[in-house]
Amino acid sequence: MDNKLIDLQGISKSYGKNLILNNLDLYIKENEFLTLLGPSGCGKTTTLRIIGGFESPDSGKVIFDNQDITDLPPNKRHLNTIFQKYALFTHMTIAENIAFGLKIAKKSKTYIDDKIKYALKLVNLDGFENRMADSLSGGQQQRIAIARAIVNEPKVLLLDEPLGALDLKLRQDMQYELIRLKNELGITFIYVTHDQEEALTMSDTIVVMNQGYIQQMGTPEMIYNEPENAFVADFIGDSNIIASTMIEDEVVEILGAKFKCVDKGFGNNTPVDVVIRPEDVELVEPQMGTIQGLVTHLIFKGVHYEMEVEANGFKWLVQSTKLVPVGTRVGIVVDPFNIQIMNKPESEDEEAVTLDE
Amino acid sequence: MIKHLKRIYMGLVILFLYLPIIVLVVSSFNNSKILGKWDGFTLDWYKELFNNASIMNALKTTLILALMASVIATALGTLASLTINKMKRSTRSVVMSITNIPMLNAEIVTALAFMLLFVGLGISLNFATVLIAHVTFCIPYALLNIYPKVRQMDNNMYEAALDLGASSAQAFFKVTLPEIMPGIMSGFLMSFTMSLDDFIITHFTRGSGIDTLSTKIYTEVRKGIKPEMYALSTLLFVTVFVLLLLINRTPNEEKRRKKLAKGKKSHATLAMGMCIVLIISAVGYISFRDDSNYIGDVYVYNWGEYIDPEVIALFEEETGYKVHYEEFETNEEMYTIIANGARNYDVICPSDYMIEKMIDTDLLAPLDYNAIPNIKNIGSEYMESATGFDPGNRYSVPYCWGTVGICYNTTMIDEEVNSWSILFDEKYSGSILMQASVRDAYCVALSYLGYSINTLDEMQLKEATNLLISQKPLVQAYVIDQVRDKMIKNTAALSVIYSGEAIYMQEENPDLEYVVPDEGSNVWIDGWVIPKNSENKEAALAWINFMCDPNIALMNFNEITYSTPNIAARDLIEDEYIRNSQIAFPGESVLSRCEVYNYLGKDGDALYDGYWTKVGTAASE
Ligand SMILES: Nc1ncnc2c1ncn2[C@@H]1O[C@H](COP(=O)(O)OP(=O)(O)OP(=O)(O)O)[C@@H](O)[C@H]1O
Ligand SMILES: [Mg+2]
Repeated sequence: MDNKLIDLQGISKSYGKNLILNNLDLYIKENEFLTLLGPSGCGKTTTLRIIGGFESPDSGKVIFDNQDITDLPPNKRHLNTIFQKYALFTHMTIAENIAFGLKIAKKSKTYIDDKIKYALKLVNLDGFENRMADSLSGGQQQRIAIARAIVNEPKVLLLDEPLGALDLKLRQDMQYELIRLKNELGITFIYVTHDQEEALTMSDTIVVMNQGYIQQMGTPEMIYNEPENAFVADFIGDSNIIASTMIEDEVVEILGAKFKCVDKGFGNNTPVDVVIRPEDVELVEPQMGTIQGLVTHLIFKGVHYEMEVEANGFKWLVQSTKLVPVGTRVGIVVDPFNIQIMNKPESEDEEAVTLDE
Repeated sequence: MIKHLKRIYMGLVILFLYLPIIVLVVSSFNNSKILGKWDGFTLDWYKELFNNASIMNALKTTLILALMASVIATALGTLASLTINKMKRSTRSVVMSITNIPMLNAEIVTALAFMLLFVGLGISLNFATVLIAHVTFCIPYALLNIYPKVRQMDNNMYEAALDLGASSAQAFFKVTLPEIMPGIMSGFLMSFTMSLDDFIITHFTRGSGIDTLSTKIYTEVRKGIKPEMYALSTLLFVTVFVLLLLINRTPNEEKRRKKLAKGKKSHATLAMGMCIVLIISAVGYISFRDDSNYIGDVYVYNWGEYIDPEVIALFEEETGYKVHYEEFETNEEMYTIIANGARNYDVICPSDYMIEKMIDTDLLAPLDYNAIPNIKNIGSEYMESATGFDPGNRYSVPYCWGTVGICYNTTMIDEEVNSWSILFDEKYSGSILMQASVRDAYCVALSYLGYSINTLDEMQLKEATNLLISQKPLVQAYVIDQVRDKMIKNTAALSVIYSGEAIYMQEENPDLEYVVPDEGSNVWIDGWVIPKNSENKEAALAWINFMCDPNIALMNFNEITYSTPNIAARDLIEDEYIRNSQIAFPGESVLSRCEVYNYLGKDGDALYDGYWTKVGTAASE
């Protein structure tokens, strides 16, 4: 699991004057489920298309299994893509769709038939051989697209927002289905999404991208619990991100009040950003709180209530199973372990930080 | 209530739309040649159609043309659609509107533009020019059908094929092409239909000897009632109708296909396949019937209804030349086409003054009389008369001739008619018919006044003009074609007419008599000439020689009744009355007092036209 299956080295790509990817470095290990996560237009699809061979980078190298494949055309690469809109061939039956790659590879008829059966079973669509592609529902088409790809036994499957067009329920089912498939087949997945929940649920590794840079790369837990900068914190889940000052080791001044934390080594009186997840904000009696505030909004969210508390000029987002009515004066406390300190970017523009910085 | 009204309204609209077609279809099965008179059901017209070699030839041309044009247009349209789809949005919409304009443009404008382009570039019209024009006007229709399919196709589909291991060629032929195939089919069928039923553009860009069904129908119908043409039109309508049904079926077809996986080959594909097979077999069949002693082509340009069609077949049989026979209606029409070099012919039959004009403008090639031994059959007096417009008989051989004279009804006129003066006699006011053509009208007036019918003397012309104006109150009408009918039906007593017509009229109404007045008149001669740019002068000479054969000349005389200058042929005429007819073959004395029309030159024409306008306007006041 430790060797790099795919290694992107210093990839840059522009369309016209727009720099889309800037000197991007990224590696994917064998058998990994790696997710590219980021807002729309950040270059996820472009990265995937460079790996798939549909775009060539302006500079940099694509290494696959220790071989430079930068200039190899797509049909010569041992990987397959699942396109966002499935791209099934509408003039063919399902069986013909699935058989397409195998026929090109000149496999025997019996081999192809066996593979079709096997693949349809795998995606839970036995008996669909003779249906036409566009008579299927979105979820079914999605699974056929996967079946069509995996019969070719690729080493890597590239999936570009494969669940983007499905409704919530179906999406959740498909998430489990994809994980199951990956485990059964033992192939490497490179997955693109802009849905952070999906990324957190499915991935071994998440790569958070913004504006062509990698913001953070790590396990879902690392990304969620220890965002390296305000962008990541903001993008992954809801957060309270507050400009603060590190007074000394383990003491941070947030909105004029001193909070205990566990971070060290930021120096004394250093400006920092503090991230506190809404579920980590505890509401107590006013006199018990580190700071005091007033509940201004309240929404019921199913599993919890979401409240807004105005305290020392900042609107705190708070999630709790306990209801506190609007207008109540409250105190706020935060467990030191739940305060995440981040270096401030040196200027506004540099909010995007490359990984190897 | 409103529902019923709507239905009636719809019914009326549909009736209104299809009534003319229904009349056409019914007429094509009508035993009677007369429109509006049902005389029983018959398939004769259809049989005649399939036995008519020239129509079968036109069918062959039409099919080959439509097939080639639509295949080329569809191929170009497919490439263009793929290219346009890759363009930026702004460029794309501009390009699409540019390609759509030709569809909305008036067809006659497109047709003229094409003709001007070809003629301007010095390209003489031929099959290739029609083909180019057809391809061009078909492309927008191909695009209209193919481009939406390309747009509709998921861009990733081609990439998906590459991704699955296909080379770019495989991806194109196995995925892109089949995906847009329904569009290509309907594009092909639409182009085929458009090419098949086009008339205007074909008419203007076709070369000599090239007839499609629609131009054939046009030339035939112009000549008179031809029930075979109704049959042909009906077949054309049915074909186009079926093709359009097929085109419109294509989308439904797709829906059906979605539900039913098997039988994926769509109807459109089948239709296209069948179309091509049918066309190729039809063309093969027609070509197979062609004669095998073929040695070359000859392009003949003659007046309408001016030959026995049997003669053409005989010529082909005897010489092995394939005849491409075309007709014109006026000398001027013919002259424009030859002078512009728009179409090339090998042998033409203009009238005297036009021959003179063509010699003048250096359009004719001198004849090699060694190749026309049959010239000995042409009477010397006619050769002599012809020197009036063709000095030395260098360029032309007389084919038909006649005089201009007076036709009168013996039951209405008691006196002897031997002078033009009777046309100016107030006694016959209201029963005189004049010819509505400049030269013939002035022929009457100038001959009566004792002047040459080719005079350019302004005083004489003024005098003739005043004479014609003063005669106007007496004239029932200035006419061309109606003379025959009116005289036969006894609705006029006196008329100016050509001798050839007179023979025919006399057969219909024995009370009619024809005379060439003593003051003299016009003798006209139509003769065969070979244009300078003829590509097969040898064939042209063979044609002329063949026309001078006594038996052939006789066949033509029997068919068209215009006097033949072929003395040997005259001796073969069986009907004694006709053989001795003074109308058909007036004596030497008549010919010697007649003059041919000369080419008056541009200024001369303008002079006559000016005075003629005065006569015309004087009438309306
Ligand atoms: N062919 C192209 N020509 C010009 N610009 C392009 C092209 N493809 C992508 N871009 C631009 O590159 C940027 C990155 O595009 P990319 O498709 O990689 O984004 P993405 O991260 O996949 O976004 P999304 O989540 O919306 O799919 C966008 O600003 C896009 O407009
Ligand atoms: Mg994308």
